[in-house]
Amino acid sequence: MREKLVEFKNVSFRYGEEQPWVLKDCSFEIYQNEAAAIIGHNGSGKSTIAKLMNGLLFPQEGEIIINGRQLTQESIWEIRKDVGMVFQNPDNQFVGTTVQDDVAFGMENRGIERDEMVKRIDNTLKAVSMDSYRLTEPHKLSGGQKQRVAIASVLAIFPQVLILDEATAMLDPRGRRDIMKTVTNVQEERNLSLITITHDLQEVVQAERVIVMNNGEIWDEAVPREIFAKKAELREIGLDIPFIATLSDELRHAGVTITNEALSHEELLEELWTSHSTT
Amino acid sequence: MDITFNNVSYIYQAKTPFEHKAIADLSLFIPSGSFTAVIGHTGSGKSTLIQHLNGLVRPTKGEVIIGDYHLTQDQKPDELKSLRSRVGVVFQYPEHQLFEETVKKDIAFGPHNFGVPQAEINKRIEQLTPVVGLSDELLERSPFDLSGGQMRRVAIAGVLATEPEVLVLDEPTAGLDPRGQREMMDMFYNLHHQEGMTTILVTHSMEDAVKYADNVVILNDGTKYMEGKPEEVLTQRDALHKVQLDVPEMVQFINKFSEQFGYDIPYRRQSPAELASDIRQILKGGLTNE
Repeated sequence: MREKLVEFKNVSFRYGEEQPWVLKDCSFEIYQNEAAAIIGHNGSGKSTIAKLMNGLLFPQEGEIIINGRQLTQESIWEIRKDVGMVFQNPDNQFVGTTVQDDVAFGMENRGIERDEMVKRIDNTLKAVSMDSYRLTEPHKLSGGQKQRVAIASVLAIFPQVLILDEATAMLDPRGRRDIMKTVTNVQEERNLSLITITHDLQEVVQAERVIVMNNGEIWDEAVPREIFAKKAELREIGLDIPFIATLSDELRHAGVTITNEALSHEELLEELWTSHSTT
Repeated sequence: MDITFNNVSYIYQAKTPFEHKAIADLSLFIPSGSFTAVIGHTGSGKSTLIQHLNGLVRPTKGEVIIGDYHLTQDQKPDELKSLRSRVGVVFQYPEHQLFEETVKKDIAFGPHNFGVPQAEINKRIEQLTPVVGLSDELLERSPFDLSGGQMRRVAIAGVLATEPEVLVLDEPTAGLDPRGQREMMDMFYNLHHQEGMTTILVTHSMEDAVKYADNVVILNDGTKYMEGKPEEVLTQRDALHKVQLDVPEMVQFINKFSEQFGYDIPYRRQSPAELASDIRQILKGGLTNE
């Protein structure tokens, strides 16, 4: 049984007394070394969950427990060492005057020794393919490059939980895939919990578990294959389904026998091949 | 308005150690009334290209011609303002540029700046709000009280309110949820046809390029790498791989299908339903194992 790293118990949140609830009675758990995705329409409460996880916001009701510790005003500084977060807009996340300074900043705050810092700067910048930009000023980078550096800065402090809040939304498709590959490798190496908040279906399909938010409530929670089987319902709450799932549906409508819920090209091709090659 | 780039180069911080050539000897022609998708990986020069379109930058070398306006290194059009009133640019994350007290004032800022009379501005706002999907009661609210998606719509309404002839869109749907993305792209597509605009879409989405564009330009290293109809350009897997791009997912699937089943399915921008029926036709013929 894997260890629970994040636990939400009946959490509700709103921005003010007069405001509507943004999160309503949400309970879920995220385990060590688990890759989870949170999806939902804009305004469904996804980003609020992320901000609650490292104490940028506090819930009015319910409890949040991170790595065995309840999140309170007193514990947030300890908890923030465990929870690394990368936001959508990298421009709001830069402090250093060069790329390597920026990666160093978070480590300096945590009192990491110089030798170790140099090593981590090396490793993390290589991991996000930005090692040739060490001395570049962040504002000279493109949006995608900035985001890689932001990810490197967070990885350098070895968090237990890594939250990507639509962090790849600004990257081109290749860049997106490279970053996800990097992040997945790091996650597996270090037994991290990875929480990806995203609209990118490829990222969702890669997750072990998907939490679907709708209007501030948890709408469903299951493995990707189960989630994407609910095609009509997902579309109804403003979400998309992968191309392969759409095509499988259309094939069924066209009268082709499809029994499994394929999520990859290979799975669907295999299915078509085995059910039609023996005539 | 026709748009022509003649051997355009653009160098950032020329003659300094930071000199960087963002565009190199780029020539292209975008016919008036077309919907053109500009695609390229990060750093390929897309953003610099679009900054030329309303005179935010002028070419270091070469010439940009937009309708009757000529932009070169030494020559800026006397009426830069008039160029900008005819070329509307929706930059990435345009909601970051909101600043007025109310939604209505923010939308009015552009046309007001271009000297459009208030009565006309009011009329345009009235027409635009349903088009971009904003409700009237939001008009007197502060734009900063709105959700991200609503703020984006306000920013876009501000550009549309200037009634541009050329509309430049730099990844206009980034960060929106799937339904929001689809609604917004459909809106631009409808406007493009209704208003007869020239639309230039900078995008990473091959799917959007295939769905909406009638012309595709692929940029690499600041210069034109490929150009043509989406179904011709976006099916060239090897050429696209060389510049770190991929064919649309449907093309990937068709390619794999053809390889495995030995039947070619021509790509003609078909819908998933049409592709399903193509596949059924092939399967119905019966497959043999060899």
